[in-house]
Amino acid sequence: MRFSPIRSVVLAVYALLVVVPLVVVVFGSFKTTPELFESPFGLPSSLSLRNYEIVLGEQNLDQAFFNSVVVTAASVALTLFVASLAAYGIARTPGWKGWLIFGFLVLGMSVPAQANMIPQYVLFDVLGLLDSRLGLVAINVVVGLPVAVFILGGFMKTIPREAYEASAIDGAGPFRTYWSVIMPMSLPSVAATAIFLFVIQWNDLLYPLLFIRSPELKTLPLALLEFQGEFLTDYPLLFTGVVIASLPIVVAYVLLQRYFVAGMTSGAVKG
Amino acid sequence: MTTTEVDPRQAATPAGARRRRRGRGATRAHPALLLFPLPALAIYVVFFAIPTVQAVQYAVTDWDGFSATFSNVGADNFRRIFTADDLFANALLNNVKFMLVVVVFQTAFALLLAVLLVKNSRGSILLRALFFFPTILSSVSVAFIWKFIYDPNFGLGNRVLDGVGLDVQLAYLGEASTAIYWVALTQVWFHAGQMMVIFVAGLQAVPAELYEAAELDGAGRWAQFRHITWPMIAPATAIVVAYTTIQSFKAFDLILGLGGNPPKFSLDILSTRIYTSFANSEFGYAAAESLVFMAVIAAIVVAQRRVLRLTQKDV
Amino acid sequence: MQNRQINRRNLLQLLGLTGLAATAACAGPGSTGGGQGGGAAEPIPSGPIEGEISFAHWRAEDQQVFEQLIAAFVAQHSGVSITQDIAPSNDYQSTALQRVRGGAVGDVFTAFRGAQFVDMVKAGIFSDLTGLPVVDRYSAALIEPGASDGKQYGLPYQLVFNMPVSNLDALEAAGVSEPPADWDGFLAMCEALRGAGFVPIAWPGGEPGNAGHLFNSMVMNNAPSPDMCTKLETGEYSCTDDWFLKTLDQYAQLRPYVQPNATGTAVEPAQQLFASGQAALLATGSFHIAAVRALGAQFPVGLLSPITTSAGEARYEGIHNATFILGVNTASDVRPAALAFIEFLSDPVNAAVYANGTGQHLTVSGVAYDNPDLAATAGWLERRTLLAPRFQFTDLDIRNAVENACTQVIGGTDPRQAAEDAQRVVDQRIG
Repeated sequence: MRFSPIRSVVLAVYALLVVVPLVVVVFGSFKTTPELFESPFGLPSSLSLRNYEIVLGEQNLDQAFFNSVVVTAASVALTLFVASLAAYGIARTPGWKGWLIFGFLVLGMSVPAQANMIPQYVLFDVLGLLDSRLGLVAINVVVGLPVAVFILGGFMKTIPREAYEASAIDGAGPFRTYWSVIMPMSLPSVAATAIFLFVIQWNDLLYPLLFIRSPELKTLPLALLEFQGEFLTDYPLLFTGVVIASLPIVVAYVLLQRYFVAGMTSGAVKG
Repeated sequence: MTTTEVDPRQAATPAGARRRRRGRGATRAHPALLLFPLPALAIYVVFFAIPTVQAVQYAVTDWDGFSATFSNVGADNFRRIFTADDLFANALLNNVKFMLVVVVFQTAFALLLAVLLVKNSRGSILLRALFFFPTILSSVSVAFIWKFIYDPNFGLGNRVLDGVGLDVQLAYLGEASTAIYWVALTQVWFHAGQMMVIFVAGLQAVPAELYEAAELDGAGRWAQFRHITWPMIAPATAIVVAYTTIQSFKAFDLILGLGGNPPKFSLDILSTRIYTSFANSEFGYAAAESLVFMAVIAAIVVAQRRVLRLTQKDV
Repeated sequence: MQNRQINRRNLLQLLGLTGLAATAACAGPGSTGGGQGGGAAEPIPSGPIEGEISFAHWRAEDQQVFEQLIAAFVAQHSGVSITQDIAPSNDYQSTALQRVRGGAVGDVFTAFRGAQFVDMVKAGIFSDLTGLPVVDRYSAALIEPGASDGKQYGLPYQLVFNMPVSNLDALEAAGVSEPPADWDGFLAMCEALRGAGFVPIAWPGGEPGNAGHLFNSMVMNNAPSPDMCTKLETGEYSCTDDWFLKTLDQYAQLRPYVQPNATGTAVEPAQQLFASGQAALLATGSFHIAAVRALGAQFPVGLLSPITTSAGEARYEGIHNATFILGVNTASDVRPAALAFIEFLSDPVNAAVYANGTGQHLTVSGVAYDNPDLAATAGWLERRTLLAPRFQFTDLDIRNAVENACTQVIGGTDPRQAAEDAQRVVDQRIG
């Protein structure tokens, strides 16, 4: 898109609309509760790092941070791997069989979490996966599969047959084709899925709340619940926690941006 | 001026292969291919499908969720849902209104932003990160922010109206007939940046040569969009529309944050209705509602796919 | 060749599925251990006070104070360790029963008054405490929410007053010297407050949960009997009865005295309105005093309930509620230790630490309230207050519908119309 004044105006307006509500959280992390309630959108009276000191000094916060990173990274990686295998298989299984598998997996997106949460709790209890990071990774992968298959499948279906055939002619088996040809071509969609999964799983409260008991296994959102009481919520501390918790995702997002490189599919279709 | 009709699948697939595909099954597919979906299916069946079946099998009972006994009531729960539950009907209506507004505006904004920011320049990357940021926030934070925007007395909303000289003070979430639309606006703010990511991925896959060729033929920007971009991002659009729809049906935390628990009448949607049924110790009924919920979503998503296909055929 | 391979694979899948389907009944009744039906028959054994106790509750804001008390308890009984298992109140309400009944969590656990307590008793999770010495530490009249069928299953620990909180300085500034004793007096007071430049009542009409606290006071003296909400739920009373219509008419009379567009106000802005001194009353309850103090309010506060009848006919002066019902888990294997911890919390000295540290009144007898707000409002413990009727509702939809009638009326709906709309929902839920 060419650089034009309309483009700048639209972007500037939207940026304003996004930023103004956000300042409540970001500025709020520097305010005291009375100040926050009195002037939620105003600049903080001082850039006091008091809240940050309190939150960062919280016992076990670094442990919670570590748990979140480990669980989320493992979940995202595993989900991507399993889902991309499935999406590849589905894309290469023509006809109703492919649609059936796809539909079956994707149907999971429409199931409300409360519906199967109790049976899942019982199952995990029986398998001894409650109160463990492994259990969290397992449930994250399970819940993330429908979304991942949906997005990856959607993009993989558009990869032209030529790409597969070219690879088959070279004598590569399906796995080789998957790993060396299709996955590199799918990097933009894989990166998009990765970001999706990262956000969903990083902020997840439902399953950690249900499964995790031991304080040393808590994930970050769970640790931040400390600031949320029944009648008294410490919003400035909560917002400070939110800002801290959001940094890894922003970093991940910026790093994943470079996989959105144009033209990866165009090379395969020449001729 | 040439109209470029592009369907990448058709263009790239030689006629012969297509014919073979419609023939006797996957004769060209490598047998090992069937192993690919297996890990996903295994995990999914054990940890997801089976628990779901375990839960919804109670849809024909009156189990309360914890007692040792219950009885079979046949289709009674379903009859009640469809004929004798005004609260469910209200929730469905609210949800549909919510979904329509969210899908249209969230998709539109996400696409607009993606189109404006598709180049990987530093400025674009930074702006993309900024627009993505709201998605990262927790629903508690988002609810807090927007409670203070929508507050009729101190809130930013009315203060802005005042500031531009308009003499009207809105009740926002206090006005029963329009409350759901204000929450829809919040939802769009919350997630448009997330959908933008999908569109960026889709847009990046469109080969630059197509635009160059069209440009040489003298096609203007709108024509390029209609005939190249829109059809080529069809998979991305399908994903965004379907995902946004499902997300708007499951917008549970935000509704509870802005509407209370249980939510007030004007903000009650299907997922909160199901939650309240569980809370009222009506496990069997909630399971039945869950099944209807899933069917409604499936029906809407399928209908949307049809509509989208139509807009792409036209081109 | 290919087809046979596929068939074999399908067959394996099918077998696997049927095998797994055999576990399909697993999430049913009686599957999660503790389904001991109604028989919490085994009394708590006496035994050594040792073991790891899990204390399950929802009050994140009380965590520090509990840690203090736990440290003191553990100092007295070596061999015991206690961990707090805290979930936010929404999640606690929906998942506690399942998590606690297996015994993995919540050797000492808590329950909300109302539906959750009833369900947990039905599920046999509460140990019977009837006749135990710990029960005598409590004011008998106040622990009724923890009893069922004549047996004392739990001890409701916290005592709150679901009545409007008043800014005493504002009342003074408006010339109100004593709380109005009847409805006309209440309206006159609101008029005086408005004249003095205050918003008489900050009412969080935007959130049903918080908007409904006022409902308690408005019906306590209008209804023919103190269990009016139970009767509304069974159908014995109807929203279109005279007494309820009268209540709605009174709500209509409050329209000029709440903040503008009150139906769109959430609880935090309402608290801000009160804490900043712009509103004279906050129509929620004593449980928000701590929050309002955290917002910087420094004026003295009190509690004030509207009396909806004449002075002579008023049976009740205010509303109280007892919740945070402590119980010993029947599925626990450290019940003696769990009971000991509850006894520890029931000691007035320890209870005082909790009360003053968290700013709440308790149902324990003989607690010394040092916290100035608690001391100022402690007088209400002795007055004629009704146990909050809105928590008699066990069906959340019925409660929502009935309270919503009041909200709609303040928003401008005609009382009779609002009553009929509410009764329609109630009828559907009952029938």
